[in-house]
Amino acid sequence: MANPLTLYVPIKQDPDTQLKAQLAYDNFVSSVQAGLDTSNIVHYARLALIPNPGGEGILAICLITTFDGPMNPYLKYFWNNGALQSVFTGLASIALNPPNPPVSDLTGFENFINDNNLNTPDDLYNAYGQTVLQIRAQFPPQA
Amino acid sequence: MANTPMPPPPDPGNVQGMVLRGYTHPYSCHLLFTFPGRSGAAGFIGALLGYVQSAQDWGNDKPVRMLNIGLTYAGILIFDPTLVQFPSEFKAGPASTGSQQSLMDSGPSAPALWWNGDKPTIHCIVHVYGMTADALSGLAAIVSGAAETNGVSEFLPLKSGSGRLTQYAPLGHDIHFGYHDGIDNPDLGWPQYQEATVPSDANNFVIGYPGSVFSPGPVSGAAGAFAKDGCYNAFRVLYQDVGAFETFLTQYAPMVVASIGGSLQQAREWLAAKLVGRWRNGSPLILSPNAPDPATRDATDFGYSADTLGLKCPFSAHTRVANPRDEPTFPADTPVPRLSRRGMPYGAPPVPPDYGGERGLIGLFLCGALAGQFELLYSWINVNNFSNVFLPKLDTQDALIANRISLSRGDPSFTIPLPNGQAIKIPSLPPFVVTRGTAYCLLPSLATLRQIATAA
Repeated sequence: MANPLTLYVPIKQDPDTQLKAQLAYDNFVSSVQAGLDTSNIVHYARLALIPNPGGEGILAICLITTFDGPMNPYLKYFWNNGALQSVFTGLASIALNPPNPPVSDLTGFENFINDNNLNTPDDLYNAYGQTVLQIRAQFPPQA
Repeated sequence: MANTPMPPPPDPGNVQGMVLRGYTHPYSCHLLFTFPGRSGAAGFIGALLGYVQSAQDWGNDKPVRMLNIGLTYAGILIFDPTLVQFPSEFKAGPASTGSQQSLMDSGPSAPALWWNGDKPTIHCIVHVYGMTADALSGLAAIVSGAAETNGVSEFLPLKSGSGRLTQYAPLGHDIHFGYHDGIDNPDLGWPQYQEATVPSDANNFVIGYPGSVFSPGPVSGAAGAFAKDGCYNAFRVLYQDVGAFETFLTQYAPMVVASIGGSLQQAREWLAAKLVGRWRNGSPLILSPNAPDPATRDATDFGYSADTLGLKCPFSAHTRVANPRDEPTFPADTPVPRLSRRGMPYGAPPVPPDYGGERGLIGLFLCGALAGQFELLYSWINVNNFSNVFLPKLDTQDALIANRISLSRGDPSFTIPLPNGQAIKIPSLPPFVVTRGTAYCLLPSLATLRQIATAA
């Protein structure tokens, strides 16, 4: 049973923040690959940069994932993985309205994710009901 | 690995007693309250402060009566509406969509039906304990008096008897299904180094200390100060359908006899043991696979990893799911969380063949992180997906206490492997329990209780 996370984070407009957002986008797959591979619960994950209405600059970052099972019990895995934690705290640090206090522990991380998630489990269309683990058991990843 | 020293352990005099020690008082009741406002709430807590038991060693002077106090998030907000930095699942509560992804209470267990369909705003749960029935009723009367004086409303969760959740003392540590319970709880040790923390250590349960991968929180700001030396309690009331359970054993005993021989009565007990992973006397199947043994009835020193085919203990047996011990688990499910269980039975046992009446388990599941510990374990109970022993389908369920949910989310069948390579397969386990209600509470420190008692 898959669930959606659509983390929508409007960001600041200064050049440094805009550059950080672009770098986060450019390096997203390589920075999360190992951690998400090991998690065995994430089907797909991607980062999108939402342009400003005028077409110039970045209005917001959107992290879109589809994952298996309940979200909150597994957030500790993402928080305890150094590379994944860096991605999320990086997003929080460039937010237009950054969490107060800053995300520095699992409780703050949980609240940041839940406060900025645009979706609920009922929102997701599923073409199939199998989990990542079930699919990998049937179709082992090629070496 | 770094060796970062741990700070000193919490002062037991500042931690509510049930957090660090299991009580053996044979009488208890659990009273649910709604506060009228801050002044009344403060007066109520203040009136009870002198009876709150801390975790300090009572030596030979065991209290005849005592109590502990839990506050829901709504209850905390009565005292201070600015305390927003609590974990999401505590704030949203167990009926929320997020928590129900793990708890999966549906059908007769659905949150809309909790507490008999009433919609109480639970602010506070008072857990009252006594060495005698008189001691219990005396302190419960004091609690009721304090509530009345301060305009605090008691909610009665049962429609039978007194309406209160009162422990059925004659059962002792047994549950209505006939099993000896409460055998294994975390030892709540204190690691020397943060990196040496294991899931049974107390820093996974008491809020405000480093080293836990479950990160009990909050740990900063005003909410962190409020929660320091507290612990969460997932308070869960489970009706136990003894009639369905006994009927199930009777129904499938002939199938067991046909497979392994013996009498129908032996088959019923064997089947009961396979469902739970322990014989009804407490002996674990791993140590006593063929018959209960008084010498192993309280045994806790064993593992499952050598039982690779489930020949001694089926993979979905309740104790093998709820506490997988050394079972290999997937990385996102590692380390295996632990809970401190402080439960007790309520309601009188049935008098067969009449199984009517209300009875079950008052479950107090203590942890430092409701999502990372309690809800994670509950999600495994409802869908066995945490270990490769469940491959390839990864969708069977805890044999005893899972919610029997739709087939698309869980397989209610139960397989008992046999040494001859065959297996007994129960096509569909019935529901044996129904969730009557759940509340998430913080058991605040004594310092916090004293502080809020002055918040008139």
